[in-house]
Amino acid sequence: MRPIIELAGITKTLKGQQRPRTILDGVDLTVCEGDSVAILGRSGSGKSTLLSLIGLFDRPDSGTYVMGGRDLARISERRAAALRSAEFGFVFQRFFLLKHLTAAQNVAMALVNGQGWLPRRKRRARVLEALDQVGIAHLAKNHPTRLSGGEQQRVAIARALVRGPRMLLADEPTGALDTETGNLVIEVLRAATDRGCGLILVTHDQAHAAKMQRVLRLVDGALRPAVLEPA
Amino acid sequence: MIRLTGRFRSALIIGLQGIRARKMRTFLSMISLFLGVLAVVTVQAGAEAARTLNLANVELQTGKDGTRMMYVPPIGSAVDVAMTTIKDQPGVAASFQIQAIIGEPKVRPINPGAAPFDRLNEYSRETAYEMHCDESDGCRPVPIDKGAVAPPGAAIEVALIAVVNDIRQFRPFRPVAGNWLEFSDKPSYSPRIVINKAAAVGFGRYRIPAEMRLDGATANPTPRIIGIIDDGQDQPTAYARIDEINNWLPQQTASDTTAVVAAGGPEGGRPMAMNNGPGLQVMLAPTAGETESLLTRKLIAAGVPREALDVHVNDARKRIEQMLTIMRWIFLGMAMLVLLIGVAGILNVGLATVGERVEEFALRRAVGTPRILLAGIVLAETLLTGLLTAGAAIGVAAAGVNLGIRILGDRVPQLHDMGFPWQAGVAGVIAGLIAGLLGGSIPAIRAARIPIATVMRA
Repeated sequence: MRPIIELAGITKTLKGQQRPRTILDGVDLTVCEGDSVAILGRSGSGKSTLLSLIGLFDRPDSGTYVMGGRDLARISERRAAALRSAEFGFVFQRFFLLKHLTAAQNVAMALVNGQGWLPRRKRRARVLEALDQVGIAHLAKNHPTRLSGGEQQRVAIARALVRGPRMLLADEPTGALDTETGNLVIEVLRAATDRGCGLILVTHDQAHAAKMQRVLRLVDGALRPAVLEPA
Repeated sequence: MIRLTGRFRSALIIGLQGIRARKMRTFLSMISLFLGVLAVVTVQAGAEAARTLNLANVELQTGKDGTRMMYVPPIGSAVDVAMTTIKDQPGVAASFQIQAIIGEPKVRPINPGAAPFDRLNEYSRETAYEMHCDESDGCRPVPIDKGAVAPPGAAIEVALIAVVNDIRQFRPFRPVAGNWLEFSDKPSYSPRIVINKAAAVGFGRYRIPAEMRLDGATANPTPRIIGIIDDGQDQPTAYARIDEINNWLPQQTASDTTAVVAAGGPEGGRPMAMNNGPGLQVMLAPTAGETESLLTRKLIAAGVPREALDVHVNDARKRIEQMLTIMRWIFLGMAMLVLLIGVAGILNVGLATVGERVEEFALRRAVGTPRILLAGIVLAETLLTGLLTAGAAIGVAAAGVNLGIRILGDRVPQLHDMGFPWQAGVAGVIAGLIAGLLGGSIPAIRAARIPIATVMRA
């Protein structure tokens, strides 16, 4: 399968209050189409930092980050915003749904972002399609306050999927959910990989990690294959 | 272009969503801004109203803006030549002024010197004067021998303005009662006169016989008052056709004609240079260039020196603008201060709102919204708030103007021609937009600078 992203020798040093701390030190990672990768690691190990580099929220200090044959390590913010819109979908631990908008409007947020323009009818169709993918099209007109935690996270996943991204980045998406709902969310994310989308799941939950094709652990700033403890 | 449209539409949609989600805050922002915008609208509306009213008054008295004024001195046959040349020509009219006394013969009028009836005390003097003009030093008041002063009687003195063609094309008199002069029929030996409101006060207050003494006339005609107009003058004034007055005037007036003052010569109120009878004040529309040229050539041929025929353009609008500009800027400055307080209010609310929406903005960046659009969203909200406030302020001001016209319309008839000035509306919209821009700029910059990693750390 074709690689979507290729990271090689990525380093990142955070400027702390007292002295700089190297949080990523030679990360190598390749994610192909339909690939699902779980990243484990203790708190503060740099999982979220790595995800923010992959999602172009931040730039690495050194190393190469190739996507579609282009090195993104030194990309401009304007281009990064366009790529975030077109190529990436983000799911966070907290759902970050806007309470004053309906589920459909929350999903449409990813379409009304200044990166091109879709007429209202096409926009609505895309939103309903995304909501349908996560199984909550019937809740399109509900405000987040009237949705359960699992439903809210599925709205957030629909928002991540609505532009048809090539990479899904999920930062502890089940952290705020009970086990059963968490499993449901993981299934929804896995289903996206069946359509050729790459998935990187940052999690503390080994059971959820075990459902991914590859499981890596971030240790001392580098990714290593993880050995999962038996349940 | 497509991207720009998409960003503009996106900013507008998200801005409207933000306003709908925070109605109370928007309302509070509007309140803080309202007085400032209203002040700007009021100052602008007031300035426009003052300009309109002043212009209307000045045009009533001196003629419409842009009117070309030529004074024809009474040299030889110049006045006759001028009258013949312009008679019935479009875009041109002329007038001369003489004193007339209507009422009992050989008595001293109630208002000597055509004094306003409400200020007779100011004009009454122990010693009577009359104007004497000569070639050496112009006109001056000369005391009259007490024995020669006529006894008081039922007579009213007016400034009689004899006109060639309809002068209203240059001085838009407001009709009060009756009719205006008819120029299409033959002149009458009983001169038809239209008096102004100041003269009507006297004719309403006193019983006056219908006999008119004209300066220089050897016999007294019987005038017919056919109408009353508002000409903006305090002095009792009557208007008549020049040919109906000329029937009663000798061909050559005496060289020592008394009380003759030109009706506003060049530069407004210059004493008549010649004292060989009244000169003619010609008013020409800017479109009457051919008539002006023909008249000038004929007058020069009639012996009038070219340098005596200077044309003065009535720049009433410019003079009023100059007069009002300083006042307008002073008041606008004060209004701007009030507006600035409103801007501070919007700024305060805007900064607080951005502080509350940090996660939303970070999330929007995460889904690909460019920084400039985030700033645009905040600016769209404050600009829309400014526009809504401007709409409310303009509505209130327009209602106030209408109410003012209804209440004061009877006392100030010029107000009836006035509506809410569009300039005030434009000023209100601009003030609202500027306030929105100023009040929203710092919150917009803050919103654009929110680090995207905020969503990762939350």
